[in-house]
Order: sequence, then structure tokens, then C-alpha cells
Amino acid sequence: MTAREGALALVAGGLDALEAERDHINDLNVYPVPDGDTGTNLCLTVRAMLEALERASATDVAEVAAEAAKASLMGARGNSGVILSQIVRGACDVIGASAALDTPTAQTAFAEAAAAAYRAVKQPVEGTMLTVVREIAAAVAAVPPGAPLSDLARAAVQTGKEAVERTPEQLEVLRRAGVVDAGGYGLLVFLEGLVEAGFSDATIARPTVRTVRDDGGGGGGRHPAAGAAAGESSRYRYCTSFLLTGAGLDRADLERFVAGQGDSWLVVGDESMLKVHVHTDHPGTVLGYASAQGSIDAVEVNDMHEQVRERSDRLSRRIEGTGVVAVAAGEGNRALFLELGCGAVVDGGQSMNPSAAQILAAVEGLEAAEVVVLPNNRNVVLTAEQAAGMSERRVEVVPTVSMPAGLSAMVAFDPGRDAGVNAAAMGEAVTHVRSAELTFAVRDSEIDGVAVRRGQVLGLVDDRLVASGDDLRAVFASILSEFARSETEIVTVLTSLNGERVSVAELEAVAHDACPEAEVEFREGGQPLYPILVGAE
Amino acid sequence: MTLLTLENTAIVADSTCDPPKGFFDRDGVALVPLKVHFGDETYRDLIDMSPLEFFAKLQTSPVMPTTSQPTAAEFEACYRRLRERYEYVFSLHLSKHLSGTYEAAAGVAETMTNVFVYDTRMVSSIIALVIERMRARLERGVELDELRSFVAGCHERAGVVFQVATLEYLRRGGRIGRASAMVGSILGIRPVLQVKDGYVDAYAKVRGEKRALATMVEYLEQRSGPDDDVYLCFFHADAAEALPPLRERLLAARPRAKALFESEVGAVVGTHAGPGTFAFCMLVE
Repeated sequence: MTAREGALALVAGGLDALEAERDHINDLNVYPVPDGDTGTNLCLTVRAMLEALERASATDVAEVAAEAAKASLMGARGNSGVILSQIVRGACDVIGASAALDTPTAQTAFAEAAAAAYRAVKQPVEGTMLTVVREIAAAVAAVPPGAPLSDLARAAVQTGKEAVERTPEQLEVLRRAGVVDAGGYGLLVFLEGLVEAGFSDATIARPTVRTVRDDGGGGGGRHPAAGAAAGESSRYRYCTSFLLTGAGLDRADLERFVAGQGDSWLVVGDESMLKVHVHTDHPGTVLGYASAQGSIDAVEVNDMHEQVRERSDRLSRRIEGTGVVAVAAGEGNRALFLELGCGAVVDGGQSMNPSAAQILAAVEGLEAAEVVVLPNNRNVVLTAEQAAGMSERRVEVVPTVSMPAGLSAMVAFDPGRDAGVNAAAMGEAVTHVRSAELTFAVRDSEIDGVAVRRGQVLGLVDDRLVASGDDLRAVFASILSEFARSETEIVTVLTSLNGERVSVAELEAVAHDACPEAEVEFREGGQPLYPILVGAE
Repeated sequence: MTLLTLENTAIVADSTCDPPKGFFDRDGVALVPLKVHFGDETYRDLIDMSPLEFFAKLQTSPVMPTTSQPTAAEFEACYRRLRERYEYVFSLHLSKHLSGTYEAAAGVAETMTNVFVYDTRMVSSIIALVIERMRARLERGVELDELRSFVAGCHERAGVVFQVATLEYLRRGGRIGRASAMVGSILGIRPVLQVKDGYVDAYAKVRGEKRALATMVEYLEQRSGPDDDVYLCFFHADAAEALPPLRERLLAARPRAKALFESEVGAVVGTHAGPGTFAFCMLVE
């Protein structure tokens, strides 16, 4: 592997990690301006690095390091992106000048990364990315120089996590919002991504960082950072950044000028290239002054007042009420759950169980403060509970064991009530439901004392075989007669009759004869494996 | 202290009280109608159009009807006419959360004496039922304060519970309030609604006709005791056949209750609830 390929793999790992956490980082963003773009800015900065490395022809360490440093500066976006670019630059300067990437080199690289970050910011504020990178540098400096690099990586990640979690104690605006610093957390995520890509060694576990505090300013299910917007916006309107290239650029002079035009300013780089970032009401004035010094490029001007509003809208919107995630198979069934008020349906069921990650993604994607999950299959209940445990939101699992039971649970759902009240009401609704399924025997066998031949229709009620035979209609009739005996009032039939020589009309007639007292509802469910699913209550 | 009687006291209601036949034909009971518009055509509710005609038109009209409240001038003319003959006027109206009718009436009453206007916080026949119970008191004579507090406190002892064939009409008219989250018409789900604190609100969401009926009976049982004086009335919108089983079940649960009347809703309530709606109203005295 060349130095370039190695660097590509590392940066790609860092970018993947950041991309995965981007929205979350955006939502944490309350400092210096709650414009909700820290995650986006960090991603774009790192992506610029990755793209530059992909294009680069350099192969030796020194060239690759210089390329990466330059790319991060050129691609830096926002305050956090610019600071990250300085951290990258500090580290790359050291690595580029070293013969090998060993523990002493990494120690120096971290030290220089922290120093470069502090140099970029004239009035450093603690409880930010600066604090996180400085504490990591101090921790890795304590690792014995002879120790393997993985020891250093472990120390860096662990200290990073602790430093991030301490940021609310250091910065009042974070404490009030009940969140950790978005930039600091983003830096940690990036570092973790590098480490994961660099060490296949799984002993360096990625720590779980507590990014949102329950006792924060939000409360009542709102995103804690949602309220942080209005009063604390930048007094300046435009986030302005650009790249200035030329010869003999005077960084100190440009810094003095920019400082007079606004706040949150950063001027970093060297005599041939400077990255400028400032929050100002007069982007034109800043650009005009700079353009007299050299040529400007990559100009970006964002209306932060608009961004603050959008972020605040986004955070307030997602947090109302309770939503439901259901696991279901079949187009018709999916539509039915959505019609009944489900926020999301995860594909799955018998013999195609969804992963906890899939359920978690559906839960996290819901615009709701609290969530109820309906697994709708015995084999999915545990997975649903795992997913519930992984979410930061309050998630209740109502252990429904069939889709008809899940539908009955949905009837009791009220989005205006919290997840606990809903789970109780939905769980209660399900206790009156009996579920039946009709399917085909896959082999000759004996089930519950009854001999069945391969291909025969099996009729199971609550997982117990109650009827079997060659005719779907006859087995269906037996099932319904079983329900009629227990004073069933409502029967729900979910059909999937592709290829079966029986029509819904015929089944309706069977149902009417077998359960004359009940109200019977048929719906095309489209589930695989089971031509008929029945719920009775 | 003057005693209020049928001779010196008149009662005004708007057309959303969905009265039984002949209700407004009596002396001392006056109607101020809301209006129904089908495109450019305007009808006075209960006057220009009977409930039957309204539902026939609803089926065939290419445009959906809209409704509008009476004007202050219409209330003023009505109150002045009645005050020539009666010393006191009581004016009872549907919830101000559902219509601006109460506000229009109350504005007029401020400029007059002995005209008492009420936001009943309810809608439909329950208002006609309350008026019947007021007249029972006027028949034997009642003191002003007693009658005023009876009317003002009615909403605490009254209930309106109904089923709709579809939530579509309530949704379209924007009158669905806190019941908006209810789903209807799939899997045999029956939304059971109530009028609560002046809003149309969800009471329960159940599956199947039998359970829906049982839920309505349960409402009566929870809000009245077996020995209470309970008065009932029923209304429907093009769904007369739904009332006998409901009536039977309610009277079985509260055999001492008095069922005063059944009525068909007018065009205004019909526009917002839609055909297929049926209900009972209760008042505990």
C-alpha cells in the first residue's frame, strides 16, 4: 500500500463516520451560532480532502501529507471546518517530515495539531473542538514511546470521549441547551473513523458518547437544543468564507481587517494561501478588501438567520407526539399499517427478520418524540427490544406476535399520548386478539399429534395446529368455526392468494357461514408464505 | 321578585339545535337560522330546506355546501320583536368554537336589557332538549337566577355522543378539532365522537358496530347513576334506522331515563357531520 492509498483509506473511514453522524451533529450545533450546519461543514471539509487525495498523483508520505493539508484548507467550511483543517495541517506537517508513522511521531503530530488549532483562533474558548484536541494531545503524550500505536489510538479515543462529555461543564450555552459541543463531538467522530479504518484490531471499541443530556433545556420530548436558537444567534447575518491565493500574503493584516467586520473570524494558512471565515453583515466589503491582495476563490456566503430558522423549525417539528414503527411483510399490509397511522413500516416477518439496525433507523427517522414498535412476529420481538435500547428516544415495544394483532393494536393508538400510555392501551387491545395462519407443509411430519403430508394446508391458531387438509377453503372454514365457538365479534382476514384456486368472494361466503355473528373484513395483504392470515377478537 | 313564566319569557335558538317537528311553531320559541350555501344558492337552515331535501341535494350537488352564521342585525330584529311582547329573552347557541353565532348574538344582547345569551358549549338536539327542560320550569314558574344558573350549568351535566359514517365531512368543514387523529372506515373501525368543552372530540375508536354501540351505552352509564333524572334525545342524519337499537340499549341501561324526542339534523349540522351520522344526547338533572 502506498502512502496515498493508506491516507485515502484513513480519510474515507473518517468521512464515513462523520456522514453517519452528520444530522445528529447538526442538531447539536448551538455554538458559536445555532445554525445547525456543523455536521455538514465537517463532512464537506473531509470530503474535499478525500477528493483531492483521489486526484493526487503523489505517492511518498511528505507529498501526500502536504496534499491532504492543502486540500483540507481549501475545502474547509464553516468555523468547525476551518479549525479541523488546522488540526489536519498540524498533524500532516509532522507526519510528512517523519520517516515512519510510529508512536513518537503520532504524539508529536497530536501536539502540533492542537497547537495549530489554538494558533488559528485568537480568543480560544474552552468547551469546544480546541479543548477536545488539546486533551487528546495531552493524553497521547503520556503513552510510553515504545508502546504500540494501537495503545495510543485507544487513549486518544477514550480521552476524546471524556473531553466531549465534559464540554457542557465548560461552556454555559451548552450546559443550558443540554448538549455537548457539536464541533468537539464531530472531531471525535472523525478520529474514531480514522482509528477504525487504521486498526482492524477490534479491541479499540468505539465508545458511546452521551451527547444529549436529559436534564437539558429542552424537556418534554423536545430536542434539547431546539430552544437554543433565537436569543443566541450571531448578531451578524452572513457566514462568509473564501480562499485567497497569491504571493506574500499578509495574514496579520487581513486578520486585523476581518476582525473589524464581524465575529467568529478565522484567517488561517500561509503566504501563498489563506482561508478566511467570518460572520459579518458586509460580505462584499470583506471580499473587496481581500481581492486587492490576491485572487479569491471558493466563495461561500450563507444567510445564518435563515439557517437558524430552518434548524429551529426542523428541531421543533420532529419532536411532537408519539409515532409507531411496525414490522410487516406484503404491500397490502404495509399500506394498511400506514393508513392506520404508522409512521414507518420495516419490511420483515417470518423467515426474513429485520435487523435491529433497520428498526433503529426507522425509529430515528420518525418525526416523533416517542415511539412504539410493533414487531408483529415472535422472532422479531427481541430484535425490536434491542433497537429500542439503542435509541436515545423513549421507545416502547408492544410484543405483537402477528400482523393481525399489530393491526388491532393500531386501532388503540393515539398519537397525542405518550409512548407509555399508548403501549399500555395497545397491549391491552392485543390481549383479546387470537391469530391464525394458513400455510403449506414443507415436509411430511407430525405436528401437535396430527400427521401432515408435504404440500398440505396447515391451519394454525396461536401457533397450534388446529386443522389440516388439501383444501384451503375447508381449512379456513375449520379455523373460523374454532373462532365462532369463542364468541368472536370481529374477524380480519389478510389474503395473499396468488396462484391459489380460490377467490376472495368464495372465502367471504365461507366466513359468513362459519361466523354468522361476526363482522368480517377482508384485505389483500400480499404477505409471502401465508395465503391467509386471520385475526379474531 | 318576578317569577319567570311562559307568558313573560321567550327562548331563542339558532337552527343548529336540530329540533323535533313543530318545535318552533309554539309561542315564545323563536328561530334564528344559520345559512347553507350551495355555490351561489343560499338557503335558510330549517326554513327554506327540510332535512330530507338537504340530503337529496347533498347527493346530487356538484359543489359541497358551506355554512354561514346569522348576522347581528338578524339577532337584533328577533330580540326587539320578542321584547315587545316578552319581558325576558333567553338565547341559546352552539359552541363558539364551532361557529361565530354566539358572538354575533352576544354582541347584540349587550345593547339591550333582559336578553341573556348563552354559549351552550354543545351543538345539535341537546340544545332543544335543554330548551324543553327550561320550558318545563317556566310552566310552573321559576326565578330568574335559578333559570339562568340552570342554563349556564347545563354543559356540565349534558353529553352528546355520536357516530359518523365517515370523518370526511368533519375534516372538510374543519370542525373535527381534537378528533382529527382518528382513522375511520378501514377494518370496520367506528369512530365514536363526543362534544366536549365546546369541541368535537374523539371518545373512543373501536372496531365493529356492536362495540361502537356498547361504547355509547358505556358513556351514558359512566355519566349518570341508575337513580338520576336522565333526559335523552336522539338525532340522525339520513340514518333513522340506526336509532331504535341505540334507544333500546340506552333505556335498558337506564330504565328510568325519559326519552323526549327524536329529530333529523338540519342542513348546517348535516353539512359538517355528513349523512349516516346518528347520536344521542343526555342531560342529568
